[in-house]
Amino acid sequence: MTAGLTPQRSPGPPASPRAGRRRGRETLGALRHPATLALLPLGVLLLLFFILPIVGMAVIAVTVTAEDGSIGVGADHFLALTSGSHSQAILNSLQVSAVGSLIAAVIGTVTAFCISLIRSAALDSIVAVFSSVLANDGGAPLAFAFIVTLGNAGLVFSALNLDATGFSLYSWQGLVVMYQYFLIPTMVMVTLPTFMGLRREWREADAALGGSSRNFWLRVGLPIAAPALLGGWVLCFGAAFATHASAAVLIGAGGFPLIPLNISSLLGQSPSSQPVAMALGITMVVIAVVVLFLFNRLQRRSARWVQ
Amino acid sequence: MGAVTTTTSVAPSAPETTGTARTSGRSPRDRALRASRWVPVVAVALYVTVPVLCSVAYAVLPGGSFSLAAYSVIGDDASLAAAAGRTLAITGATIVTLVVTLVPAVVAVHLWAPRLRPLLEILCTLPLVVPPIAIAAGVVALLRAGAQQGRGSLGNQISQFLQSPDLPLILVGTYVVLCLPFTFRSIDAGLRTIPLKAMVEGSTILGSSIWGTIFRVVIPNIRGSMLFSVFFATALCFGEFSLAATLSQQTIPVWLYDVSSHDFRASIAIAVLLNLTTWALLFVATLSADRFSPAARAARAEKQLQKTTTKALAS
Repeated sequence: MTAGLTPQRSPGPPASPRAGRRRGRETLGALRHPATLALLPLGVLLLLFFILPIVGMAVIAVTVTAEDGSIGVGADHFLALTSGSHSQAILNSLQVSAVGSLIAAVIGTVTAFCISLIRSAALDSIVAVFSSVLANDGGAPLAFAFIVTLGNAGLVFSALNLDATGFSLYSWQGLVVMYQYFLIPTMVMVTLPTFMGLRREWREADAALGGSSRNFWLRVGLPIAAPALLGGWVLCFGAAFATHASAAVLIGAGGFPLIPLNISSLLGQSPSSQPVAMALGITMVVIAVVVLFLFNRLQRRSARWVQ
Repeated sequence: MGAVTTTTSVAPSAPETTGTARTSGRSPRDRALRASRWVPVVAVALYVTVPVLCSVAYAVLPGGSFSLAAYSVIGDDASLAAAAGRTLAITGATIVTLVVTLVPAVVAVHLWAPRLRPLLEILCTLPLVVPPIAIAAGVVALLRAGAQQGRGSLGNQISQFLQSPDLPLILVGTYVVLCLPFTFRSIDAGLRTIPLKAMVEGSTILGSSIWGTIFRVVIPNIRGSMLFSVFFATALCFGEFSLAATLSQQTIPVWLYDVSSHDFRASIAIAVLLNLTTWALLFVATLSADRFSPAARAARAEKQLQKTTTKALAS
C-alpha cells in the first residue's frame, strides 16, 4: 500500500546502492504497515497450532524407514490400515456415520418441515437458539447423560424394558442413538431456512395452474430443497465421522473400534505405532475435506433459489 | 421445552399466513392435521429433554430421596478444584488470545487488504472440518519430536513449556484455532454492517492511533459479535475433551472421565452442572449475536418510535 507513495523503480540496469536502499525502505514500510502487523499474530498462531501439526502429521505418515535404515517416502502406513483392527475401525466409522446421519437427515427434515408449517415466531426463535446450541454438543457430559438414561441400568432402559429387545447402548446402535442428539439439531439448523424460504407465490402459482399440493412438492418444493437436504445430510455424516469425545467416554478403548478411538489409543502406545496413527489422522482429514467440499457445492446450489 | 406446546399463538406480524388455514371455521379434520404438525417437534423436544432429566434425577435422587450428597465432591476432592482452576486459566487465556489476534486481522482485511479476505476465510473455516482428534495427533507428534531432542535442548524446553500443567499453552493455541470458524464468521459479519472505513478515518482525524481506534471505536460497535465470540470460546473451553485427554491435561471433562470409574454419581453430578453451564453460555452467545445485530436494533428502534407516536397521538 505504501508503494504508491514512492516513485516507481525504473527497470533495466542493476540498481544503484541508493535504489537498493530505497527498496529496502519499501519492504520495511510494508512490514511496518498496520495491515501486516494486524495479520501477523493470527498468521503465526494458525501456522504453529494448525498448519504445522497437520503438515507434520502428513510427513510422519508418508515417511518410511527401510530395513537398512534409510528413510524414504512410501504408503506403507496407509497399507497397514487395510487389515486388522484399523480396517474394522474404518468400516465401523463409516457404518455408524452413514446410518446415524441418514436417520438424523430424515427426522431433522420432517421436524424442520413441520416447524415451517406451524409458522410461530416464538417457536422459530426457540428452535433457532436450541438447534445451534445442541448442534455444538457431543462432549463427555452427553455420553454420561446417555449412560444414565439408556445404559444397562438406565432409567429409560429399565422403564421400557429394552433389555428384552436386545438393544445395547455400548454397540453401534447405541452410538447411532446418542449421535442423534446433535445430528438432528444440525439437520434442523441447516434445512429450516430452506423450508422457510420456499415462497408462497410459488405455491400460489402452482395452485393457480391447477396443481395439487402433492404436485407442488414433487415438482417445485423438493427439487428446490434437495440440495439443502443433501448438504445437511453430508454435514451430519461429517459430524458423526469426526465425533470422538462422547464415543470415547461411552465405549472406551477396544470395545468397538472407531477411527478416532483407534487414533487416541495408538498415540498412547509405543512411538513405533505413531506413524499408523498419523496415517489414520490423514485419512480423517481427507474425508473431512471432501465432506466440506460437497457441502459447499450443494449449499451454493440451493442458495441460488432461496434467499 | 415443554412450554413450547403452549406458545402456539401466532405472532401478530405474520403477513404470510396462508389464508385458508387461518379462517375461523375449521373442520375437525383440518384441526387434526394442524395438531399433527406438532408431533415430530414434540418428539424431538422429548428426546432432547429426557437424558437431561434422567441425569438430574440420578444425581440428586439417589435411592429415591432428594440429596445433594453427590455434590460434596466439590469440597472434598482437591483434584476437581485444580481441574476447574486449570480450565478457567485456559479459558481466560484463550479468550484474550482470540480477541487480540482475530479482531485486528479481520479489521485489517476489511480496511486494507480485501483481496486477502477469501484466503483468511478459508484458513479460518478449515478447523471446522479437521477433526480435533486429528489436530491432537499432529500436535502430539510435534511435541514428541521436540522432546526427543534430549534433556535440556531447545526443542525439549519448548515442548515442556507448552505442556506446563499450570497453563498448558498448547491447549490455548489449539482452542483458539478450534474457535476460529464460528468467531471469524460472527466478527466478519459484524464488521460488514458498520461503516468501518468512515469510523477509522474519523477516529484517525481526531488523533487516535489505529490500535486505539480498534479497541475504543470498532470493538464497541460490534458488541454482539464480540459477546458471541467470548461466550462461544468459553463454552468450547469448558467442554473440549479430545485434545485435553490426548495431551493428558486434566481439565474438567477429563477429570469427569477419570473419576467416573470409581465415583460414577459424582461424575454425573458434575457433568450435569457442566452441561447446563455450557448450554447457558451457548444460549447467551446466540442471543447476544441476535440482540445486538443491526436488524434487531432497527426493530427495537421502530417499536420505540411506534410507542411514542401512539402516545403522542393519544394525548
